[in-house]
Amino acid sequence: MKLNRESKIQIGVLLLPGLLVFGIFTFYPIVRLFWMSFFKWDFGSFLNQDFIGLENYRTVLSDRNFMTAFANTLVYTIITVPAQMILGLLVAILVNAVSRFKIGFRVAYYLPVITSWVIASLIFRYVFNTEGLLNYFLTNVIHVTSQNIHWLDSRWGGMAVAMLLGIWKGIGWNMVVFLAALQTVPLELYESASLDGAGGWQKFVHVTLPGIKGTVLFALVMLTIGGFNVYTSTKLITDGKPGHDTEVVLTWMYYKAFSNGKFGYSAALSFIIAFVLAILAVVQFKLMQNKE
Amino acid sequence: MKERKKILAILLTTVTCVAAMCGCGKSPVNSASDSESQETATVTDSEEPAEEVTINFWHHYSAQSPENATLTEVLIPKFEEENPGITVNAVSHEWADLHDKLLISAESDTLPDVARLDSAWVPEFQKMGILVPLNKEMSDFGEVSDSLLESAMTTAEIGGDQYGLALNTNTKILYYNVEMFEEAELSVPETMDEFAEACRILSGTKENGQQVWGYDEPALSGWNLCPFIWSMGGAITNEEQTQASGYLNSPQTVAAIQMFADLYKEGAITGWNSGDIPMTDGFGTGRYAMLLEGPWKVSEMAGAYPDFDYATAPVPAGEGGSLSVLGGEDISMFQSAHKDAAWKFMKFMTSAFAQEEMAKCGQIPCNKEALESDTVKEADFAPYIEQLDHAKSRPTVASWSEIDSELSVAATAVVNGEKTAQEAMDELAAKVDALLAE
Repeated sequence: MKLNRESKIQIGVLLLPGLLVFGIFTFYPIVRLFWMSFFKWDFGSFLNQDFIGLENYRTVLSDRNFMTAFANTLVYTIITVPAQMILGLLVAILVNAVSRFKIGFRVAYYLPVITSWVIASLIFRYVFNTEGLLNYFLTNVIHVTSQNIHWLDSRWGGMAVAMLLGIWKGIGWNMVVFLAALQTVPLELYESASLDGAGGWQKFVHVTLPGIKGTVLFALVMLTIGGFNVYTSTKLITDGKPGHDTEVVLTWMYYKAFSNGKFGYSAALSFIIAFVLAILAVVQFKLMQNKE
Repeated sequence: MKERKKILAILLTTVTCVAAMCGCGKSPVNSASDSESQETATVTDSEEPAEEVTINFWHHYSAQSPENATLTEVLIPKFEEENPGITVNAVSHEWADLHDKLLISAESDTLPDVARLDSAWVPEFQKMGILVPLNKEMSDFGEVSDSLLESAMTTAEIGGDQYGLALNTNTKILYYNVEMFEEAELSVPETMDEFAEACRILSGTKENGQQVWGYDEPALSGWNLCPFIWSMGGAITNEEQTQASGYLNSPQTVAAIQMFADLYKEGAITGWNSGDIPMTDGFGTGRYAMLLEGPWKVSEMAGAYPDFDYATAPVPAGEGGSLSVLGGEDISMFQSAHKDAAWKFMKFMTSAFAQEEMAKCGQIPCNKEALESDTVKEADFAPYIEQLDHAKSRPTVASWSEIDSELSVAATAVVNGEKTAQEAMDELAAKVDALLAE
């Protein structure tokens, strides 16, 4: 398509506000952050930073607390992403199949998504407190144990509660996404599969799944990024306790920057995570393509 | 080609997402030239004529508080009347905002003249080089300093120089549940041994099956552990604040940490776990028998549990005596200030008159004369005054927040039985040595 001068100017003018906002609030901070990650940038060097090359990256990678936080994040992602997708897809198929109260079901499953993270986290915390609702139920109502169980006080206990919250909150989003995808699978394919004698499971594996493959991939990439973005729930439920054992990468990044003043460290950490996420996304796309 | 574009798109998206989540921080942005321009600004500022000066005072008395009313309606008018030509522009910030705003102002060279700083911030700002060493630049510093409480003044003392005046102070003392002590026929613990014994006796399971604990400590950081470490004769660092080995892993410090671990194992104390009952509720409902807390607890208890019967006592004494930890605020001057006017205002704010007025709103004075006044003697915080003579500030080093975090990690490992107290403190001392050397 050939553009004349006038329309080129028009395009430029229309693009300018968007580009400016993107440039000032997204592109510039990223570049600046990348720059910061090579400097000794903390309280002591506030007015005059020294270039230290890859020292920040080395410090991050040799930090035991970072490794704990990274492992926690990885486990969180590996558990919550498939769980959300499987449960979300299941709910989508069920909701898709019912003929009555469709909207009611959709709203019910979507409610956790629009609930505030802060409120949901605090409620989960109250439920799982040592003196909380769940322990009250276990000891005083159904009497399975006489001692209160310390759900939140260990590394994996605290992480498990955060994961449970993540899954509970994520099902609704997956349901909506998959529900939309299910509508796009042509009904004729199901009909011809029936004629070929396929059962429900076979239809699901050979018709539904290939039909929604693109959506599955989309959900996988978005949720993986989301899993690495977990912050509010762990911050409010355990706040890294005991002794930074339940820290995730973002809470640790925040802690180092705003409690310890190690801005260079946190900048390097954010680029390490970005790098890991980029590799993960590429791998996920490759895997899905090979299956074709 | 198409595939490559796709990969590029994914890369861009992920980078954008990650950057979006870390980009929201207010990171310090600065260049070397700014510090030079700041110095030149300082020179021109101080050469300005002294007749008409406006000084900016940033503080974190909340806008609706009686403290702020006293400041703007009583103190500042009085100061301006006594010092014609000087106008004070007081700006109220949220506590957490003030810290960040000062960091940002430092980089954009728009700092106020004077600020009320949480004493924990002073070392950070000192290391940034934006605070005025008062003892070096103010000729009458000695007189002013002598009129203020020595213990509180140490919160702004770094490397032998004084980077602020103690404005108001607080410390922690022992709170105990009177009824629980009477039922157990116990007297209030005066020594650390009696304290540990009381924790053991007062803990256990009540008739209704509820567990109770002798003592509650809501975290294991320096604010929480220092009273025990110091009172039992231990220390975090040497006097010069340059070395931790031999202090942080001394037998006395190790014994203090070990006492916590033992009592926790026996179910006699708790509080720092994520799932534990919050302090005020646990104390008010009789689940925790003792606490170490500051003067703010009085109004909290009055609000939440007005009928609850409790009393206070000094921190139990050990080998090192009865030593508590200091909190509170300092008033400091920035390098870019109108120094003469700012110093006059700082002297006024720490004068007996201003301090007594603030004491009426519950601020514990640092001025010795104000401490002797009737206002103070009749105030809720009277029990704290005695402990203030036996209280120390946490190390005034810029790396304190990191040291503090490492300390709580080490103490957590000990109470959870992952390490012995000696092992954990030896490792910690080596780490803290490195942090102090930075």
